[in-house]
Amino acid sequence: MNKLIQNEMLKLLARKRLIVVGIILSILVVLFTYAQYQTVQTQLKKLGTTDWRTTLQQQIIDTQNRLSNSRIPDDFKKELEVRVKQQQYYLDNDINPAEPGAPSFTKEFMENSIDLLLPLMIMVIASDLVSSEFSMGSIKLLLTRPVKRWKILFSKYVTLLLAISLIIAMMGMISYLISGVVFGFKGWTAPEFIGFQITEAGFDASGASIIPQWQFILMDFGVVWFAAVVVGTLSFMVSVLIRSTAAGMGIILALLIAGAILSNMVSSWTSAKYFFMLNMRLTDYLNGSPPPIEGMTLSFSLAVLTVWWLLALFISFGVFTKKDIY
Amino acid sequence: MCEVFILKKPLSIVITALSAVLLCVWLGGFLYAVQTNLNVQADESKNTSQDTGKKSQAVNNEKDLKVVAVGDSLTRGMGDETGKGYIGYLTDEMKAKSKKPVIVQNLGISGQKSDSLLAQVKTYSVTRQLKEADYILITIGGNDLFQGGQTLVDFQPAAVKSIQQKYLHNLEAILSHVRSSNSGAVIFLVGLYNPFIELENGKDTSQVVREWNYKSAEAAAKQIKTVYVPTFDLFELKVNDYLYTDRFHPNSKGYRLIAERVAALLTW
Repeated sequence: MNKLIQNEMLKLLARKRLIVVGIILSILVVLFTYAQYQTVQTQLKKLGTTDWRTTLQQQIIDTQNRLSNSRIPDDFKKELEVRVKQQQYYLDNDINPAEPGAPSFTKEFMENSIDLLLPLMIMVIASDLVSSEFSMGSIKLLLTRPVKRWKILFSKYVTLLLAISLIIAMMGMISYLISGVVFGFKGWTAPEFIGFQITEAGFDASGASIIPQWQFILMDFGVVWFAAVVVGTLSFMVSVLIRSTAAGMGIILALLIAGAILSNMVSSWTSAKYFFMLNMRLTDYLNGSPPPIEGMTLSFSLAVLTVWWLLALFISFGVFTKKDIY
Repeated sequence: MCEVFILKKPLSIVITALSAVLLCVWLGGFLYAVQTNLNVQADESKNTSQDTGKKSQAVNNEKDLKVVAVGDSLTRGMGDETGKGYIGYLTDEMKAKSKKPVIVQNLGISGQKSDSLLAQVKTYSVTRQLKEADYILITIGGNDLFQGGQTLVDFQPAAVKSIQQKYLHNLEAILSHVRSSNSGAVIFLVGLYNPFIELENGKDTSQVVREWNYKSAEAAAKQIKTVYVPTFDLFELKVNDYLYTDRFHPNSKGYRLIAERVAALLTW
Protein backbone atom coordinates (compact mmCIF):
# COMPACT_ATOMS: atom_id res chain seq x y z
CA MET A 1 0.00 0.00 0.00
CA ASN A 2 2.77 2.34 1.06
CA LYS A 3 4.63 1.56 -2.17
CA LEU A 4 1.53 2.30 -4.20
CA ILE A 5 1.12 5.70 -2.58
CA GLN A 6 4.81 6.43 -3.10
CA ASN A 7 4.40 5.52 -6.74
CA GLU A 8 1.39 7.77 -7.19
CA MET A 9 3.15 10.64 -5.46
CA LEU A 10 6.12 10.17 -7.77
CA LYS A 11 3.85 10.36 -10.80
CA LEU A 12 2.19 13.47 -9.46
CA LEU A 13 5.47 15.23 -8.84
CA ALA A 14 6.87 14.17 -12.20
CA ARG A 15 3.89 15.81 -13.89
CA LYS A 16 4.96 19.14 -12.35
CA ARG A 17 1.41 20.29 -11.80
CA LEU A 18 2.16 21.31 -8.25
CA ILE A 19 4.83 23.67 -9.53
CA VAL A 20 2.36 25.19 -11.98
CA VAL A 21 -0.10 25.68 -9.12
CA GLY A 22 2.65 27.32 -7.10
CA ILE A 23 3.51 29.71 -9.91
CA ILE A 24 -0.12 30.67 -10.50
CA LEU A 25 -0.60 31.32 -6.80
CA SER A 26 2.57 33.40 -6.57
CA ILE A 27 1.50 35.64 -9.43
CA LEU A 28 -1.97 36.08 -7.97
CA VAL A 29 -0.66 36.85 -4.50
CA VAL A 30 1.70 39.46 -5.91
CA LEU A 31 -1.28 41.06 -7.67
CA PHE A 32 -3.46 40.98 -4.56
CA THR A 33 -0.70 42.32 -2.37
CA TYR A 34 -0.22 45.20 -4.74
CA ALA A 35 -3.96 45.89 -4.82
CA GLN A 36 -4.12 45.82 -1.02
CA TYR A 37 -1.09 48.10 -0.85
CA GLN A 38 -2.82 50.61 -3.13
CA THR A 39 -5.95 50.51 -0.99
CA VAL A 40 -3.90 51.18 2.11
CA GLN A 41 -2.14 54.08 0.45
CA THR A 42 -5.36 55.80 -0.63
CA GLN A 43 -6.77 55.20 2.83
CA LEU A 44 -3.76 56.81 4.43
CA LYS A 45 -4.03 59.75 2.07
CA LYS A 46 -7.67 60.19 2.98
CA LEU A 47 -6.87 60.23 6.69
CA GLY A 48 -4.23 62.87 6.09
CA THR A 49 -0.69 62.66 7.33
CA THR A 50 -1.70 62.86 10.97
CA ASP A 51 -0.32 60.36 13.43
CA TRP A 52 -2.49 57.27 13.35
CA ARG A 53 -1.78 56.61 17.01
CA THR A 54 -3.67 59.72 18.10
CA THR A 55 -6.57 58.85 15.83
CA LEU A 56 -6.68 55.34 17.20
CA GLN A 57 -6.46 56.59 20.75
CA GLN A 58 -9.38 58.89 20.07
CA GLN A 59 -11.37 56.03 18.59
CA ILE A 60 -10.73 53.91 21.66
CA ILE A 61 -11.89 56.65 23.99
CA ASP A 62 -14.98 57.28 21.88
CA THR A 63 -15.88 53.61 22.01
CA GLN A 64 -15.26 53.49 25.75
CA ASN A 65 -17.61 56.39 26.21
CA ARG A 66 -20.24 54.56 24.22
CA LEU A 67 -19.62 51.42 26.25
CA SER A 68 -20.45 53.14 29.51
CA ASN A 69 -23.81 54.16 28.12
CA SER A 70 -26.27 51.86 29.85
CA ARG A 71 -28.80 52.13 27.07
CA ILE A 72 -26.97 50.24 24.37
CA PRO A 73 -27.93 46.56 24.05
CA ASP A 74 -25.67 43.91 25.56
CA ASP A 75 -24.64 42.19 22.35
CA PHE A 76 -23.63 45.46 20.76
CA LYS A 77 -21.67 46.26 23.92
CA LYS A 78 -19.81 42.99 23.50
CA GLU A 79 -18.91 43.87 19.96
CA LEU A 80 -17.64 47.26 21.05
CA GLU A 81 -15.62 45.71 23.85
CA VAL A 82 -13.91 43.42 21.42
CA ARG A 83 -13.22 46.32 19.10
CA VAL A 84 -11.62 48.26 21.93
CA LYS A 85 -9.46 45.26 22.81
CA GLN A 86 -8.36 44.92 19.20
CA GLN A 87 -7.58 48.61 18.88
CA GLN A 88 -5.71 48.62 22.17
CA TYR A 89 -3.66 45.69 20.92
CA TYR A 90 -2.76 47.59 17.77
CA LEU A 91 -1.79 50.60 19.84
CA ASP A 92 0.28 48.60 22.31
CA ASN A 93 2.07 46.66 19.59
CA ASP A 94 2.59 49.63 17.33
CA ILE A 95 0.60 48.15 14.44
CA ASN A 96 -1.29 50.53 12.21
CA PRO A 97 -4.70 48.88 11.78
CA ALA A 98 -5.04 50.42 8.32
CA GLU A 99 -1.97 48.44 7.25
CA PRO A 100 -2.65 44.76 7.73
CA GLY A 101 0.19 42.43 8.68
CA ALA A 102 1.00 39.31 6.70
CA PRO A 103 -1.10 37.03 8.97
CA SER A 104 -4.20 39.17 8.39
CA PHE A 105 -3.54 39.21 4.66
CA THR A 106 -3.12 35.43 4.61
CA LYS A 107 -6.30 34.94 6.58
CA GLU A 108 -8.26 37.14 4.22
CA PHE A 109 -6.71 35.52 1.16
CA MET A 110 -7.69 32.05 2.39
CA GLU A 111 -11.20 33.20 3.24
CA ASN A 112 -11.70 34.71 -0.18
CA SER A 113 -10.24 31.81 -2.12
CA ILE A 114 -12.16 29.05 -0.34
CA ASP A 115 -15.03 28.90 -2.79
CA LEU A 116 -13.39 29.42 -6.16
CA LEU A 117 -9.64 29.88 -6.43
CA LEU A 118 -8.59 27.03 -4.19
CA PRO A 119 -11.11 24.55 -5.63
CA LEU A 120 -9.78 25.40 -9.10
CA MET A 121 -6.25 24.64 -8.01
CA ILE A 122 -7.37 21.40 -6.40
CA MET A 123 -9.26 20.52 -9.55
CA VAL A 124 -6.13 20.87 -11.65
CA ILE A 125 -4.59 18.07 -9.62
CA ALA A 126 -7.64 15.92 -8.95
CA SER A 127 -9.38 15.83 -12.29
CA ASP A 128 -6.75 13.87 -14.15
CA LEU A 129 -5.56 11.51 -11.43
CA VAL A 130 -7.58 8.66 -12.91
CA SER A 131 -8.66 9.88 -16.33
CA SER A 132 -5.08 10.51 -17.46
CA GLU A 133 -4.35 6.84 -16.88
CA PHE A 134 -7.13 6.10 -19.32
CA SER A 135 -6.13 8.64 -21.90
CA MET A 136 -2.48 7.56 -21.80
CA GLY A 137 -3.48 3.94 -21.74
CA SER A 138 -1.33 3.19 -18.71
CA ILE A 139 -4.37 2.01 -16.77
CA LYS A 140 -3.99 -1.42 -18.36
CA LEU A 141 -0.42 -1.77 -17.14
CA LEU A 142 -1.54 -0.75 -13.67
CA LEU A 143 -4.44 -3.18 -13.51
CA THR A 144 -2.53 -6.18 -14.79
CA ARG A 145 -0.54 -6.19 -11.54
CA PRO A 146 -1.77 -8.54 -8.82
CA VAL A 147 -3.19 -5.75 -6.75
CA LYS A 148 -6.87 -5.28 -5.94
CA ARG A 149 -8.53 -2.48 -7.88
CA TRP A 150 -9.82 -0.67 -4.82
CA LYS A 151 -6.29 -0.54 -3.47
CA ILE A 152 -5.08 1.21 -6.60
CA LEU A 153 -7.87 3.74 -6.42
CA PHE A 154 -7.38 4.17 -2.69
CA SER A 155 -3.70 4.94 -3.18
CA LYS A 156 -4.68 7.55 -5.73
CA TYR A 157 -7.17 9.02 -3.30
CA VAL A 158 -4.64 9.21 -0.49
CA THR A 159 -2.26 10.94 -2.88
CA LEU A 160 -5.00 13.43 -3.62
CA LEU A 161 -5.48 14.14 0.09
CA LEU A 162 -1.75 14.63 0.50
CA ALA A 163 -1.61 16.94 -2.51
CA ILE A 164 -4.52 19.00 -1.16
CA SER A 165 -2.76 19.40 2.17
CA LEU A 166 0.39 20.41 0.37
CA ILE A 167 -1.38 22.96 -1.86
CA ILE A 168 -3.08 24.60 1.12
CA ALA A 169 0.24 24.85 2.95
CA MET A 170 1.81 26.27 -0.20
CA MET A 171 -0.94 28.82 -0.48
CA GLY A 172 -0.48 29.87 3.11
CA MET A 173 3.30 30.11 2.81
CA ILE A 174 3.26 31.98 -0.47
CA SER A 175 0.75 34.56 0.67
CA TYR A 176 2.48 34.99 4.03
CA LEU A 177 5.95 35.42 2.57
CA ILE A 178 5.01 37.71 -0.33
CA SER A 179 2.62 39.94 1.60
CA GLY A 180 4.99 39.99 4.57
CA VAL A 181 7.63 41.73 2.48
CA VAL A 182 5.22 44.63 1.98
CA PHE A 183 3.11 44.63 5.14
CA GLY A 184 5.50 43.15 7.71
CA PHE A 185 5.36 39.75 9.34
CA LYS A 186 3.84 40.86 12.66
CA GLY A 187 0.40 40.21 14.07
CA TRP A 188 0.21 36.52 14.93
CA THR A 189 -1.13 37.21 18.40
CA ALA A 190 -3.60 39.93 17.42
CA PRO A 191 -6.95 39.26 19.09
CA GLU A 192 -9.63 37.78 16.87
CA PHE A 193 -13.10 37.08 17.97
CA ILE A 194 -15.26 34.09 17.31
CA GLY A 195 -18.67 32.86 18.29
CA PHE A 196 -21.04 35.18 16.48
CA GLN A 197 -24.47 34.00 15.67
CA ILE A 198 -26.43 35.30 12.76
CA THR A 199 -30.01 34.71 13.74
CA GLU A 200 -33.34 35.96 12.50
CA ALA A 201 -33.12 38.67 15.14
CA GLY A 202 -29.90 39.85 13.53
CA PHE A 203 -26.36 39.97 14.75
CA ASP A 204 -25.82 38.22 18.07
CA ALA A 205 -22.43 38.49 19.72
CA SER A 206 -23.36 37.33 23.19
CA GLY A 207 -21.32 34.14 22.84
CA ALA A 208 -18.28 35.83 21.37
CA SER A 209 -14.87 35.17 22.81
CA ILE A 210 -11.37 36.26 21.94
CA ILE A 211 -8.55 34.09 20.66
CA PRO A 212 -5.14 34.99 19.26
CA GLN A 213 -5.04 35.33 15.49
CA TRP A 214 -2.82 32.29 14.89
CA GLN A 215 -5.46 30.04 16.43
CA PHE A 216 -8.06 31.65 14.23
CA ILE A 217 -5.88 31.12 11.18
CA LEU A 218 -5.40 27.47 12.12
CA MET A 219 -9.18 27.10 12.27
CA ASP A 220 -9.52 28.87 8.93
CA PHE A 221 -7.03 26.52 7.33
CA GLY A 222 -8.81 23.57 8.89
CA VAL A 223 -12.18 24.39 7.35
CA VAL A 224 -10.54 25.43 4.08
CA TRP A 225 -8.91 22.03 4.01
CA PHE A 226 -12.22 20.29 4.60
CA ALA A 227 -13.92 22.23 1.79
CA ALA A 228 -10.97 21.46 -0.50
CA VAL A 229 -11.18 17.75 0.30
CA VAL A 230 -14.86 17.70 -0.63
CA VAL A 231 -14.24 19.45 -3.96
CA GLY A 232 -11.19 17.25 -4.55
CA THR A 233 -13.26 14.13 -3.97
CA LEU A 234 -15.94 15.33 -6.37
CA SER A 235 -13.40 16.06 -9.10
CA PHE A 236 -11.88 12.67 -8.35
CA MET A 237 -15.26 11.06 -8.94
CA VAL A 238 -15.69 12.90 -12.22
CA SER A 239 -12.21 11.79 -13.17
CA VAL A 240 -13.23 8.18 -12.61
CA LEU A 241 -16.49 8.57 -14.51
CA ILE A 242 -15.26 10.48 -17.54
CA ARG A 243 -12.33 9.43 -19.62
CA SER A 244 -11.55 12.84 -20.97
CA THR A 245 -9.66 15.06 -18.53
CA ALA A 246 -10.77 18.23 -20.31
CA ALA A 247 -14.45 17.32 -20.12
CA GLY A 248 -14.10 16.46 -16.42
CA MET A 249 -12.45 19.78 -15.69
CA GLY A 250 -15.18 21.56 -17.60
CA ILE A 251 -17.90 19.95 -15.52
CA ILE A 252 -16.31 20.82 -12.20
CA LEU A 253 -15.49 24.32 -13.40
CA ALA A 254 -19.09 24.88 -14.45
CA LEU A 255 -20.36 23.66 -11.08
CA LEU A 256 -18.03 25.90 -9.14
CA ILE A 257 -18.82 28.98 -11.15
CA ALA A 258 -22.54 28.21 -10.96
CA GLY A 259 -22.11 28.08 -7.19
CA ALA A 260 -20.41 31.47 -7.12
CA ILE A 261 -23.19 33.00 -9.20
CA LEU A 262 -25.97 31.28 -7.27
CA SER A 263 -24.72 32.37 -3.87
CA ASN A 264 -25.06 35.96 -5.04
CA MET A 265 -28.65 35.65 -6.12
CA VAL A 266 -30.45 32.83 -4.35
CA SER A 267 -31.82 33.64 -0.89
CA SER A 268 -35.40 33.06 -2.03
CA TRP A 269 -34.76 29.62 -3.49
CA THR A 270 -34.11 27.93 -0.17
CA SER A 271 -33.62 24.37 -1.39
CA ALA A 272 -30.49 25.59 -3.16
CA LYS A 273 -28.80 25.25 0.21
CA TYR A 274 -28.40 21.51 -0.41
CA PHE A 275 -25.95 22.17 -3.25
CA PHE A 276 -22.38 21.64 -2.17
CA MET A 277 -21.26 24.84 -3.94
CA LEU A 278 -23.33 27.04 -1.65
CA ASN A 279 -21.90 25.42 1.44
CA MET A 280 -18.27 26.00 0.53
CA ARG A 281 -17.76 29.26 2.39
CA LEU A 282 -17.20 27.64 5.78
CA THR A 283 -14.93 30.47 6.89
CA ASP A 284 -17.92 32.81 6.87
CA TYR A 285 -19.33 30.97 9.85
CA LEU A 286 -16.11 31.53 11.76
CA ASN A 287 -15.84 35.26 11.13
CA GLY A 288 -19.53 35.96 11.40
CA SER A 289 -20.51 36.97 7.85
CA PRO A 290 -24.08 36.13 6.99
CA PRO A 291 -24.61 32.89 5.02
CA PRO A 292 -26.06 33.06 1.47
CA ILE A 293 -29.36 31.57 2.59
CA GLU A 294 -30.92 32.38 5.93
CA GLY A 295 -30.89 29.61 8.47
CA MET A 296 -27.71 27.95 7.27
CA THR A 297 -25.29 27.11 10.08
CA LEU A 298 -21.84 25.60 10.33
CA SER A 299 -23.21 22.21 11.34
CA PHE A 300 -25.67 22.30 8.46
CA SER A 301 -22.99 23.07 5.89
CA LEU A 302 -20.68 20.43 7.33
CA ALA A 303 -23.46 17.88 7.13
CA VAL A 304 -24.28 18.75 3.51
CA LEU A 305 -20.63 18.64 2.49
CA THR A 306 -20.13 15.34 4.29
CA VAL A 307 -23.07 13.79 2.44
CA TRP A 308 -21.71 14.95 -0.92
CA TRP A 309 -18.26 13.71 0.03
CA LEU A 310 -19.47 10.24 1.04
CA LEU A 311 -21.61 10.00 -2.07
CA ALA A 312 -18.68 10.89 -4.32
CA LEU A 313 -16.42 8.39 -2.59
CA PHE A 314 -19.03 5.64 -2.83
CA ILE A 315 -19.63 6.25 -6.55
CA SER A 316 -15.91 6.49 -7.35
CA PHE A 317 -15.05 3.19 -5.71
CA GLY A 318 -18.23 1.49 -6.86
CA VAL A 319 -17.67 2.41 -10.49
CA PHE A 320 -13.94 1.88 -10.61
CA THR A 321 -14.06 -1.65 -9.20
CA LYS A 322 -16.83 -2.71 -11.58
CA LYS A 323 -15.77 -0.84 -14.71
CA ASP A 324 -14.78 -2.63 -17.89
CA ILE A 325 -11.35 -1.55 -18.99
CA TYR A 326 -10.60 -1.77 -22.67
CA MET B 1 13.33 10.65 -18.21
CA CYS B 2 14.75 7.78 -16.19
CA GLU B 3 17.36 10.00 -14.59
CA VAL B 4 14.77 12.49 -13.50
CA PHE B 5 12.87 9.73 -11.75
CA ILE B 6 15.90 8.43 -9.90
CA LEU B 7 16.81 11.91 -8.72
CA LYS B 8 13.30 12.57 -7.60
CA LYS B 9 12.75 9.52 -5.46
CA PRO B 10 14.16 10.74 -2.13
CA LEU B 11 12.63 14.14 -2.73
CA SER B 12 9.25 12.58 -3.33
CA ILE B 13 9.50 10.65 -0.08
CA VAL B 14 10.24 13.86 1.78
CA ILE B 15 7.35 15.63 0.10
CA THR B 16 5.00 12.75 0.83
CA ALA B 17 5.97 12.73 4.50
CA LEU B 18 5.61 16.50 4.68
CA SER B 19 2.19 16.31 3.08
CA ALA B 20 1.13 13.66 5.56
CA VAL B 21 2.17 15.90 8.44
CA LEU B 22 0.33 18.85 6.91
CA LEU B 23 -2.74 16.68 6.44
CA CYS B 24 -2.74 15.96 10.17
CA VAL B 25 -2.27 19.65 10.99
CA TRP B 26 -5.18 20.76 8.80
CA LEU B 27 -7.35 17.97 10.12
CA GLY B 28 -6.49 19.14 13.63
CA GLY B 29 -7.37 22.72 12.71
CA PHE B 30 -10.64 21.55 11.23
CA LEU B 31 -11.62 19.58 14.31
CA TYR B 32 -10.59 22.50 16.50
CA ALA B 33 -12.76 24.88 14.46
CA VAL B 34 -15.76 22.56 14.63
CA GLN B 35 -15.34 21.87 18.32
CA THR B 36 -14.89 25.54 19.25
CA ASN B 37 -17.90 26.65 17.26
CA LEU B 38 -20.16 23.97 18.62
CA ASN B 39 -18.96 24.73 22.16
CA VAL B 40 -19.79 28.37 21.67
CA GLN B 41 -23.28 27.45 20.63
CA ALA B 42 -23.72 25.26 23.71
CA ASP B 43 -22.35 27.96 26.03
CA GLU B 44 -24.71 30.44 24.58
CA SER B 45 -27.80 28.47 25.43
CA LYS B 46 -26.46 28.14 28.98
CA ASN B 47 -25.87 31.86 29.25
CA THR B 48 -29.34 32.80 28.17
CA SER B 49 -30.89 30.47 30.73
CA GLN B 50 -28.76 32.05 33.46
CA ASP B 51 -29.84 35.49 32.43
CA THR B 52 -33.51 34.69 32.71
CA GLY B 53 -32.83 33.26 36.18
CA LYS B 54 -31.27 36.53 37.28
CA LYS B 55 -34.09 38.57 35.90
CA SER B 56 -36.77 36.67 37.77
CA GLN B 57 -34.77 37.14 40.98
CA ALA B 58 -34.69 40.85 40.41
CA VAL B 59 -38.43 40.97 40.09
CA ASN B 60 -38.96 39.05 43.31
CA ASN B 61 -37.05 41.49 45.49
CA GLU B 62 -38.87 44.62 46.37
CA LYS B 63 -36.34 46.89 48.02
CA ASP B 64 -33.25 47.76 46.06
CA LEU B 65 -30.11 49.85 46.42
CA LYS B 66 -30.05 52.92 44.23
CA VAL B 67 -26.77 54.53 43.32
CA VAL B 68 -26.53 57.78 41.40
CA ALA B 69 -23.15 58.84 40.08
CA VAL B 70 -22.51 62.32 38.73
CA GLY B 71 -19.33 64.03 37.61
CA ASP B 72 -16.65 63.94 34.93
CA SER B 73 -14.78 61.38 32.86
CA LEU B 74 -13.77 59.43 35.98
CA THR B 75 -17.41 58.67 36.61
CA ARG B 76 -17.80 57.91 32.93
CA GLY B 77 -14.92 55.42 33.17
CA MET B 78 -12.75 56.88 30.45
CA GLY B 79 -9.52 54.97 30.03
CA ASP B 80 -10.87 51.69 31.32
CA GLU B 81 -10.60 49.06 28.61
CA THR B 82 -13.79 47.38 29.75
CA GLY B 83 -15.60 50.72 29.88
CA LYS B 84 -16.72 50.09 33.46
CA GLY B 85 -14.84 52.77 35.35
CA TYR B 86 -14.82 52.87 39.13
CA ILE B 87 -18.61 52.96 39.13
CA GLY B 88 -18.71 49.66 37.25
CA TYR B 89 -16.28 47.93 39.60
CA LEU B 90 -18.05 49.35 42.62
CA THR B 91 -21.35 48.06 41.26
CA ASP B 92 -19.84 44.62 40.74
CA GLU B 93 -18.66 44.62 44.32
CA MET B 94 -22.00 45.78 45.65
CA LYS B 95 -23.84 43.17 43.61
CA ALA B 96 -21.60 40.46 44.99
CA LYS B 97 -22.00 41.52 48.62
CA SER B 98 -25.54 42.79 48.77
CA LYS B 99 -28.60 40.60 48.61
CA LYS B 100 -30.65 43.48 47.31
CA PRO B 101 -30.59 44.31 43.64
CA VAL B 102 -28.34 47.25 42.83
CA ILE B 103 -29.52 49.91 40.43
CA VAL B 104 -26.91 52.33 39.15
CA GLN B 105 -27.50 55.55 37.25
CA ASN B 106 -24.30 56.84 35.75
CA LEU B 107 -24.82 60.45 34.78
CA GLY B 108 -21.16 61.32 34.32
CA ILE B 109 -20.18 63.48 31.38
CA SER B 110 -16.63 63.43 30.09
CA GLY B 111 -14.86 66.75 30.40
CA GLN B 112 -17.41 68.18 32.81
CA LYS B 113 -16.36 71.04 35.08
CA SER B 114 -17.88 72.11 38.38
CA ASP B 115 -20.06 74.86 36.89
CA SER B 116 -21.71 72.56 34.36
CA LEU B 117 -22.15 69.89 37.03
CA LEU B 118 -23.95 72.44 39.15
CA ALA B 119 -26.26 73.17 36.23
CA GLN B 120 -26.72 69.42 35.67
CA VAL B 121 -27.72 68.54 39.24
CA LYS B 122 -30.19 71.41 39.26
CA THR B 123 -32.12 70.05 36.29
CA TYR B 124 -35.46 68.49 37.10
CA SER B 125 -34.75 64.94 35.98
CA VAL B 126 -31.39 64.73 37.77
CA THR B 127 -32.87 66.14 40.98
CA ARG B 128 -35.62 63.54 40.79
CA GLN B 129 -33.07 60.74 40.45
CA LEU B 130 -30.98 62.13 43.28
CA LYS B 131 -34.08 62.14 45.49
CA GLU B 132 -34.48 58.38 45.16
CA ALA B 133 -30.82 57.51 45.66
CA ASP B 134 -29.31 55.63 48.57
CA TYR B 135 -25.77 56.53 47.59
CA ILE B 136 -24.59 59.51 45.59
CA LEU B 137 -21.12 59.48 44.10
CA ILE B 138 -19.40 62.58 42.81
CA THR B 139 -16.11 63.07 40.96
CA ILE B 140 -15.45 66.64 40.00
CA GLY B 141 -12.69 69.20 39.85
CA GLY B 142 -10.17 67.36 37.70
CA ASN B 143 -11.07 69.35 34.62
CA ASP B 144 -11.30 72.61 36.59
CA LEU B 145 -7.80 72.20 37.91
CA PHE B 146 -5.92 70.49 35.13
CA GLN B 147 -7.72 71.76 32.03
CA GLY B 148 -6.14 68.94 30.11
CA GLY B 149 -2.77 69.60 31.71
CA GLN B 150 -2.56 73.24 30.70
CA THR B 151 -2.82 74.78 34.16
CA LEU B 152 0.12 72.92 35.52
CA VAL B 153 2.30 73.34 32.46
CA ASP B 154 2.32 77.11 32.67
CA PHE B 155 2.12 76.99 36.41
CA GLN B 156 0.92 80.26 37.94
CA PRO B 157 -0.10 80.21 41.60
CA ALA B 158 -2.35 83.26 41.20
CA ALA B 159 -4.30 81.69 38.34
CA VAL B 160 -4.71 78.46 40.28
CA LYS B 161 -6.00 80.44 43.23
CA SER B 162 -8.80 82.05 41.23
CA ILE B 163 -9.76 78.73 39.62
CA GLN B 164 -9.90 77.18 43.05
CA GLN B 165 -12.15 79.93 44.39
CA LYS B 166 -14.63 79.40 41.58
CA TYR B 167 -14.50 75.64 42.01
CA LEU B 168 -15.12 75.74 45.74
CA HIS B 169 -18.02 78.06 45.27
CA ASN B 170 -19.58 75.64 42.74
CA LEU B 171 -18.78 72.60 44.86
CA GLU B 172 -20.52 74.01 47.90
CA ALA B 173 -23.56 74.84 45.81
CA ILE B 174 -23.57 71.33 44.31
CA LEU B 175 -23.30 69.63 47.68
CA SER B 176 -25.96 71.76 49.30
CA HIS B 177 -28.32 71.23 46.38
CA VAL B 178 -27.81 67.47 46.48
CA ARG B 179 -28.25 67.47 50.25
CA SER B 180 -31.43 69.48 50.11
CA SER B 181 -32.96 67.23 47.45
CA ASN B 182 -32.12 64.07 49.41
CA SER B 183 -31.43 64.27 53.13
CA GLY B 184 -30.99 60.55 53.71
CA ALA B 185 -28.49 59.42 51.13
CA VAL B 186 -24.78 59.14 51.80
CA ILE B 187 -22.73 61.37 49.51
CA PHE B 188 -19.24 60.34 48.51
CA LEU B 189 -17.04 63.05 47.07
CA VAL B 190 -14.08 61.39 45.40
CA GLY B 191 -10.91 63.49 45.59
CA LEU B 192 -8.25 64.18 43.00
CA TYR B 193 -4.98 62.37 42.39
CA ASN B 194 -2.01 63.95 40.68
CA PRO B 195 -1.45 62.36 37.26
CA PHE B 196 1.60 64.57 36.69
CA ILE B 197 3.40 63.51 39.85
CA GLU B 198 6.31 61.96 37.97
CA LEU B 199 6.87 64.96 35.72
CA GLU B 200 9.53 67.57 36.34
CA ASN B 201 7.58 69.87 38.62
CA GLY B 202 5.76 67.00 40.32
CA LYS B 203 6.39 68.42 43.77
CA ASP B 204 4.76 71.73 42.94
CA THR B 205 1.76 70.18 41.28
CA SER B 206 1.33 67.71 44.14
CA GLN B 207 1.27 70.59 46.55
CA VAL B 208 -1.48 72.29 44.55
CA VAL B 209 -3.52 69.08 44.36
CA ARG B 210 -3.12 68.45 48.12
CA GLU B 211 -4.33 71.95 48.89
CA TRP B 212 -7.22 71.50 46.46
CA ASN B 213 -8.20 68.23 48.09
CA TYR B 214 -8.00 69.74 51.53
CA LYS B 215 -10.40 72.51 50.56
CA SER B 216 -12.75 69.97 48.96
CA ALA B 217 -12.72 67.89 52.13
CA GLU B 218 -13.55 71.00 54.14
CA ALA B 219 -16.49 71.71 51.87
CA ALA B 220 -17.72 68.13 52.25
CA ALA B 221 -17.44 68.35 56.02
CA LYS B 222 -19.96 71.19 56.05
CA GLN B 223 -22.71 68.79 54.99
CA ILE B 224 -24.00 65.85 57.02
CA LYS B 225 -23.43 62.27 55.86
CA THR B 226 -21.03 63.53 53.24
CA VAL B 227 -17.73 61.68 53.02
CA TYR B 228 -14.65 62.93 51.24
CA VAL B 229 -12.80 59.95 49.71
CA PRO B 230 -9.09 60.59 49.14
CA THR B 231 -7.41 59.06 46.09
CA PHE B 232 -4.19 61.07 46.12
CA ASP B 233 -2.26 58.40 48.05
CA LEU B 234 -3.45 55.60 45.74
CA PHE B 235 -1.64 57.12 42.79
CA GLU B 236 1.29 58.57 44.69
CA LEU B 237 3.67 55.69 44.05
CA LYS B 238 3.95 54.05 40.64
CA VAL B 239 1.47 56.43 39.11
CA ASN B 240 2.18 55.16 35.60
CA ASP B 241 1.07 51.64 36.50
CA TYR B 242 -2.39 52.94 37.22
CA LEU B 243 -2.79 55.43 34.40
CA TYR B 244 -4.18 54.84 30.94
CA THR B 245 -2.01 55.52 27.88
CA ASP B 246 -3.20 59.12 27.80
CA ARG B 247 -1.35 59.56 31.12
CA PHE B 248 -4.29 61.38 32.62
CA HIS B 249 -7.17 59.00 33.21
CA PRO B 250 -6.83 55.88 35.35
CA ASN B 251 -6.65 52.48 33.65
CA SER B 252 -8.58 49.42 34.80
CA LYS B 253 -6.22 48.91 37.73
CA GLY B 254 -6.51 52.51 38.81
CA TYR B 255 -10.29 52.45 38.64
CA ARG B 256 -10.31 49.26 40.64
CA LEU B 257 -8.28 50.94 43.38
CA ILE B 258 -10.74 53.81 43.58
CA ALA B 259 -13.69 51.40 43.60
CA GLU B 260 -12.15 49.35 46.41
CA ARG B 261 -11.67 52.44 48.50
CA VAL B 262 -15.26 53.55 48.06
CA ALA B 263 -16.54 50.02 48.60
CA ALA B 264 -14.74 49.87 51.93
CA LEU B 265 -16.79 52.86 53.10
CA LEU B 266 -20.17 51.41 52.22
CA THR B 267 -22.31 50.21 55.11
CA TRP B 268 -25.23 47.91 54.72
